[in-house]
Amino acid sequence: MSTQLSADVVEGFGEGEPPAEPEPTKELAGRSPTQIALARLRQDKVAVVCSVILLVMVVLAILAPVINSALGIYADLDSPDAPRPNEVLEFDGFPAIGPPLHGFTWDHPIGLAPGTGYDNLALLLLGLRTSLIVAALATIISTLVGVTLGLVAGYARGWVDSALSFFIDFFLSFPFILGALALAPIVTTRFGGNTETLKRAELITVVGVLVVFGWMGIARLIRGQVLSLREREFVQAARVIGVPTRSILFKELLPNLVAPIVVSVSLSLPGYVAAEAGLSFLGIGLTETPSLGRTINRAVPYNEPYPLYLWVPVVTVMVLVIALNLVGDSVRDAFDPKTRR
Amino acid sequence: MRLHKPIIAVTVVGAFVLAACGGSDSDNGDGPESNVDTDNLANTGRAQDPTREGPVTIEGATEGGTVKVISYAGLNTMDPTEAYYQNTTSILTGLVTRSLTQYVYDADQNSMVLVPDLATDLGTPNDDFTEWTFTLREGIKYEDGTPVKPEDFAFSAARSFDRTQFPEGPAFSNDYFVGGDTYGGPYTDPKGTFEAVEIDGNTLTYKMATPFPDMPYWGSFAALGPIPLGAKSDPEKYALHPLATGPYMFGDYTPEKSLTLVRNPEWDPDTDPGRTAYPDEYVMDFQVAQAKIDQLLLADSGDAQNTLTYDDVQASNYRKFQDTGRVITGGFPLTSYWGPDYRKITDIRIRQALAWVYPYKDVDLAGGYIAGVTSVPATGLLPPGTAGRVEFNPIPDHEPQTTDTAVAKQLLEDAGELGYEIKFPYAKDDENSVAVKDAIVASLKEAGFTPNPVPTTVADLSTLRADPNADLNVRSAGWIADWPSGASWFPPLIQSTNLDAEGLGSNYSVFSEPEVDARIKEILGLPVDEQAAAWGELDETVMTEYLPLFPIRYGGVAQAYGSKINGHFIDNTIGMPTWKNIWVTQ
Repeated sequence: MSTQLSADVVEGFGEGEPPAEPEPTKELAGRSPTQIALARLRQDKVAVVCSVILLVMVVLAILAPVINSALGIYADLDSPDAPRPNEVLEFDGFPAIGPPLHGFTWDHPIGLAPGTGYDNLALLLLGLRTSLIVAALATIISTLVGVTLGLVAGYARGWVDSALSFFIDFFLSFPFILGALALAPIVTTRFGGNTETLKRAELITVVGVLVVFGWMGIARLIRGQVLSLREREFVQAARVIGVPTRSILFKELLPNLVAPIVVSVSLSLPGYVAAEAGLSFLGIGLTETPSLGRTINRAVPYNEPYPLYLWVPVVTVMVLVIALNLVGDSVRDAFDPKTRR
Repeated sequence: MRLHKPIIAVTVVGAFVLAACGGSDSDNGDGPESNVDTDNLANTGRAQDPTREGPVTIEGATEGGTVKVISYAGLNTMDPTEAYYQNTTSILTGLVTRSLTQYVYDADQNSMVLVPDLATDLGTPNDDFTEWTFTLREGIKYEDGTPVKPEDFAFSAARSFDRTQFPEGPAFSNDYFVGGDTYGGPYTDPKGTFEAVEIDGNTLTYKMATPFPDMPYWGSFAALGPIPLGAKSDPEKYALHPLATGPYMFGDYTPEKSLTLVRNPEWDPDTDPGRTAYPDEYVMDFQVAQAKIDQLLLADSGDAQNTLTYDDVQASNYRKFQDTGRVITGGFPLTSYWGPDYRKITDIRIRQALAWVYPYKDVDLAGGYIAGVTSVPATGLLPPGTAGRVEFNPIPDHEPQTTDTAVAKQLLEDAGELGYEIKFPYAKDDENSVAVKDAIVASLKEAGFTPNPVPTTVADLSTLRADPNADLNVRSAGWIADWPSGASWFPPLIQSTNLDAEGLGSNYSVFSEPEVDARIKEILGLPVDEQAAAWGELDETVMTEYLPLFPIRYGGVAQAYGSKINGHFIDNTIGMPTWKNIWVTQ
């Protein structure tokens, strides 16, 4: 049970609310730190706006296939109704309908991709979906791994701690890009025998690479917190009365770590989005599924003749990352009892 | 002839630009304008002029200036005996090394003409083309002042036998010269006897094991130019600095990065019926990104004004280059084709179905080709203009570059093979290759095939394709004729190869029919005036009866140059700039 004296509760009283009409039936229940944080978040305009944007993006991403079939736009040639490239492109690959050479058309609001004739809006929605799935998976798995290892390292001390700390430092010193460049092709050529298994292999590889190079941050953070928490009286009391270690870890310590975990999650999500886009841009990420990074890679030579094709996915990635970062910042501020609003 | 980029060999190149005069039958937008003569794509060097003499002057040309050349690919090897890529061959024969014969550009025909080089004419054959006699010019010197001797030609011919020392070099000496299959070359077989060349004063006689009417064309290769005996031509050194007999010689050379050619003071223009030397030097930079090449040439400022490239402009920039007027298009005798594995796909109906189902136009678009500019509709293996070519359609009723999945499906059903599995390789780290793969898969599915593309990487693609035991049943390849006759097409592409000893060679369709092998041998022995027609007939028979492969497109190039570069035309024997015509505006 957490007895962390919350300064907020004290502050809350001291905020000088005018002693208005007494509300006799209102229960004077203490608010938990999480509830306080959420309340502060609700007041933060930036956080609210960014959350709305994120919500919209998540909904669009989840509904991407539905939207695509509703609008009749296609991101590949799998469906027999999808237009073939020679039906919608001119002799040199530029779209025969819509930008850049012809006017705006409602059939393809942000135009067609040159060379393949796929609809850019379909690619955008599916790419958003890919980015969010990869980032979410990577975040969840790396958080689980990092928190567990951090908890164990912080609580155990002794040689377990030394070993795990060395482990963490070792991985921290590995250059991410070089590691990804080396690992990704090896894994995919080993496991990607045909295109079906390749899709899955690539997804696992990308998530795997991101996790392998991303779990260390939260692990160190949690380890640091645990190191200080384990000396507190409630933990010592629990040990004295013989509570098993597992219970101490997950029932006593973990709830106190909610704040750093939430903050870390909300800040690592945008990092993973950008990393996945970067990997796909370099050609070592996903090649079978639509991805914003892939689209950007294809669009770079067209930045002069067909700028819309390049800038839409770039701006999308930017907005997604900025929104996630701002929400993450606000969450961190909200959870930190020392910041005054 | 091997193409100079591995990705070209897979027919998915960043940007090949070929303009056909009204060749595109798609009604999407305006067709491109260009000066590629699609009827005579391979009408290259058929013209010959044995009496041409130097010196060559270009009207209005000014001496001086530096020509900068930028390109994406590096140079494979510059040893004249081993150079066999478009870029290496063309740079060596155009600027640095002279040989028995050479090609020059004819502006009226927009084509190349074979003229003498260090020989005084185009050679004299005996009756059955088993002996060729050349008389050499006198007074020729290497860049270091040492005189060129007839023994140097004998040495280079001997060197050209060595497939162990020069595995990637052209092997025509082995195919045709006396001792081609027994003598191993001066480095691998120093005790062997070399009997293919006889020297009598200033006259050389080349002796053939089988009739070789095309010897003057083989004589234009750098491999048959003079190479000094002894330590000077040690292969490791010589690849870094071959001795020049042409107007330019090697300055600094960092393999794969840069090459500088400076004037060769020993070159005498009076002795050279083809070359000119207006620019002071050539500075070549390699491994320049394709987008950067295009941007530099479009911007055309500073150094870029005297820069040229022999890479194709990217499809995304072709229209802009057309507007500037500084892009030159031209044909060259390239046929890209799909070769179903003859050992695995044995029913001709399935191969015909593949020819119907292949999405020609979609692949061109996805691969970054420009319809009518770098991709011309193809029918038989021999491109238009090859001597003796017969215009025919191996697949009845099939319009070139059309796709009809319904007909393909019908053919599959007739053969009882609905759901037949097709395994072809693609490079998953090249976006163009992936897009092409998607187009092919969609079309195959529609026709009832089961497509199972095999993912690999750009680096491994040619290795996978060359492996006879790889789990593939279709391979795609491109072939450029070494010279404009059927002898340069059929033997390398459809003659059986010893799979264990030499692998597939260039026979990517793994085609093997003893009848056809025998016929090829027969034609090689025919009198030269009957050969051309015989090759044309063989093209028709083999394609109609066996269909070992089907062509996807004939090739073309579009190259850009800066505003101060003049004389950049297309050498349509090889798809490279006409180095001998280039000069810089001062």
